[in-house]
Amino acid sequence: MHNERILNELQNIVGENYVSNREEDLYIYSQDPGASLRRNVDYVILPKNTEEVRKIVLFANAEKIPIIPMGGGLTLSGLIIPVRGGIVMDMKRMNRIIEINETSRYALIEAGVTTGQLLSHLNQNFPELQPPIPDAPPSATIAGNVLIHGSGYLSQKHGDHGAMINGIEVVLPDGEISKFGSCALSDYWFSRGPIIDFIGLFISAFGTLGVITKLSIKLYPKPNYRDVVFGLLKDTKDIPKLLLEITKTGLAEDVLLGSQDKPEWMKGYIFVMTYVTGDDPEEIEQNIKTFKKVYRKSNARFMKPPDRMRDTYLEKPIFAAGAADYRKGGGFEYVGAFMPLEKVPEAYDRAAEISRKYNIPPTIGSRLMSGTHTIVVFFSYSFNRADPKDMENARNALHETNELALQLGGIPWKVELDGQQLVLEKIDPSYKKVLKLVKTALDPNNIMNPGNWEVNEK
Amino acid sequence: MNASHELDWKDIVHRCFRCGYCKFTEDFLDFNCPSYKNFRYETYSTGGRMWLIYGLISGEIEWSEGAANAIYACPTCGNCIENCRFDKFKDFLVDFIELARVEASKAGFTPKKQVNLLKRIENPEMNNPYGELNSDNENLKKKYDLPDQAEWVYFIGCTSNYRQKELRDATIKFLKKAKIDFTLIDEHCCCSPIIRTGQVDPVKNFINYNLLKIKNTGASKIITSCAGCYKTIKKDWLKFQEVLGIEVFHTVELIKDLMDNKKLKFNSEYKKKITYHDPCHLGRHMKFYDVPREVIKNIPGVELVEMKRNRENAWCCGAGGGVKIGYPEWAIETSRERLEEAKSTGASIITSICPFCRTNLTDANEHYDMNLQVIDLLEIINNIGYTIIN
Repeated sequence: MHNERILNELQNIVGENYVSNREEDLYIYSQDPGASLRRNVDYVILPKNTEEVRKIVLFANAEKIPIIPMGGGLTLSGLIIPVRGGIVMDMKRMNRIIEINETSRYALIEAGVTTGQLLSHLNQNFPELQPPIPDAPPSATIAGNVLIHGSGYLSQKHGDHGAMINGIEVVLPDGEISKFGSCALSDYWFSRGPIIDFIGLFISAFGTLGVITKLSIKLYPKPNYRDVVFGLLKDTKDIPKLLLEITKTGLAEDVLLGSQDKPEWMKGYIFVMTYVTGDDPEEIEQNIKTFKKVYRKSNARFMKPPDRMRDTYLEKPIFAAGAADYRKGGGFEYVGAFMPLEKVPEAYDRAAEISRKYNIPPTIGSRLMSGTHTIVVFFSYSFNRADPKDMENARNALHETNELALQLGGIPWKVELDGQQLVLEKIDPSYKKVLKLVKTALDPNNIMNPGNWEVNEK
Repeated sequence: MNASHELDWKDIVHRCFRCGYCKFTEDFLDFNCPSYKNFRYETYSTGGRMWLIYGLISGEIEWSEGAANAIYACPTCGNCIENCRFDKFKDFLVDFIELARVEASKAGFTPKKQVNLLKRIENPEMNNPYGELNSDNENLKKKYDLPDQAEWVYFIGCTSNYRQKELRDATIKFLKKAKIDFTLIDEHCCCSPIIRTGQVDPVKNFINYNLLKIKNTGASKIITSCAGCYKTIKKDWLKFQEVLGIEVFHTVELIKDLMDNKKLKFNSEYKKKITYHDPCHLGRHMKFYDVPREVIKNIPGVELVEMKRNRENAWCCGAGGGVKIGYPEWAIETSRERLEEAKSTGASIITSICPFCRTNLTDANEHYDMNLQVIDLLEIINNIGYTIIN
């Protein structure tokens, strides 16, 4: 599609420094750290404000050129790699923190603000507030994360990050700038309703319905103290009971669990990490005692976490990228699946079998969301991206894990192209009908990240 | 340890996960990678550059002028090394970039301006990157009555010898007053400019030449007032030469030693608010942070104020890695950001111990009319006057 006229038009919008069709600039946008194969990119563009986004979208719509919005590029499942070429819209120059409302506790930000930036801004200027941030590197954008149903250390109490959106500004495929949430009728971006909630349409839509340019997310009071209570379970069957008991206390800020074959001492166990918070060290101590009892009651062995592990888990954001480095090969992808709690034991056992089948050390993690109403389970596969066979092996393991999640009644999260089709095969036909209606109504030329969530009639 | 010696870098460069830590300040509030902050395409972060390098060495993408430009548009400041989280990998990030530049050079894609550095250094009448006629330093030896044989060699460095002679002269005077038994050699470039730009073929010969000249004086120690020479001789020469057989010092280490031994007394006060800029060559690359600060704090009357980004987290002046010659406008823009940060401290003076940082900061100071005084620490000491008790 390389075309000087198109390049010139885009340069007229953003300036010549911020759009490129040079091979050396496009190369990295043609892939991500996950197991997806490279795909062609025609242009990368870096808009500075909503008006530039609007002009780009209008132009692309007139020319029927695909647009793929991108935040930190860390979904790992290839969602920001164009399926049919086109323009990757890297949003990271739109990085203004527009407002922190301390009373209504929200942050109004542009779509390119990173999790590291917002976290640091609050720590320095509003130390009593904390944002929802994922276990992703600080280069992940807030928008990219909340718009894929991301989760983080506040999710056990408050739900997934998509639930924490108060409002969005979207450039629709026809160039219309729309606001959804209280911001549609108020100067305050404080609430999602009580009006028809269109915001949900844009969550996990992977940029197929428009380009989100601004959003408001909820902020929360930051505790004075935080610590972790570490325990080990021997039998996956005990997971639901333990988690029900933990959440019954109402004292857990976050609950993480997982199993992995490395280091050796963790092999055969499920670790459980409950975060406790408090106003003072005494309260923390009391909460730790409470959870020691809860652990014992539910067949879990309390143990003092190794300092290194404790430090890692208390760091915000958690250095989760370490998990990506097991193979020292720069490649990492996982199936995240929202699961019903009762199916988690089976998911752990069967996913470990899949890992072993593909000669990948089992590495499974989970986080509670909204109490035990949802649990997101991560089945991780690291690989050597310099080895095409290893990448293919990981892709096959991921596919089989997606199938497992669906069989068990779960829903794969931020799922890659093949997995999207597995979901669409299983999904209620009426859902597909509505999905297609909405897509066609908003994006009749199918310019927004085409190929994703595409309903293919057989 | 360095990548070229200890492991086959081509087998590990793809370990980068492009998590992006390399772009940031230590608190993630801002971008601290001068290249990413300027260009903003992912390619221009260190992670992006690692991916591009892998693409080039694996053949997924071919060398071109543009690809080479992306590899060269980095001052190799080492912010990425400080922030990357992958042990046994992060230490090599700048090595990888320099090794990729060697590949670019082999493929004939070193940008022309950087090739000029090599041409001037290889020119037997010059042997320096500035294109000046080589000074054999015999006139200086005569002027300052320096012996042929000595315990120390003052390795002046090309920037001080051909562009910032005040620093050279101040250093010689200081060494004389301290009664250091030193001399000068007919030095040729330490090769920092061509190592940074991947044009390494003549490096070994230059090292051998300089080492021979040094050993002919009977010296076992080198002292230099140049951060670039210091890092290059002490660290990079060992990539080309197993043993140097000489000790390497920066002049500020001597000053600190004299202060500690109560042998250095200042003749007057210097009632100024000063901020100190960490040169990347000395700071992040050599972990040399405290000595210059302790020296500044010991100058009577001085108030040392820190810039927000300092030490491991310092913002680069923007000149290193061949950027000053390859991208002169971007280089001074990067320095402007440093000067603005310096101004925000309320300081009227920004000092450093790197003549190349000083050059770029001065260029920015003049170009943007920033009204700061940019001066080397040794020149401050020289200006206020001092006595050395021997």
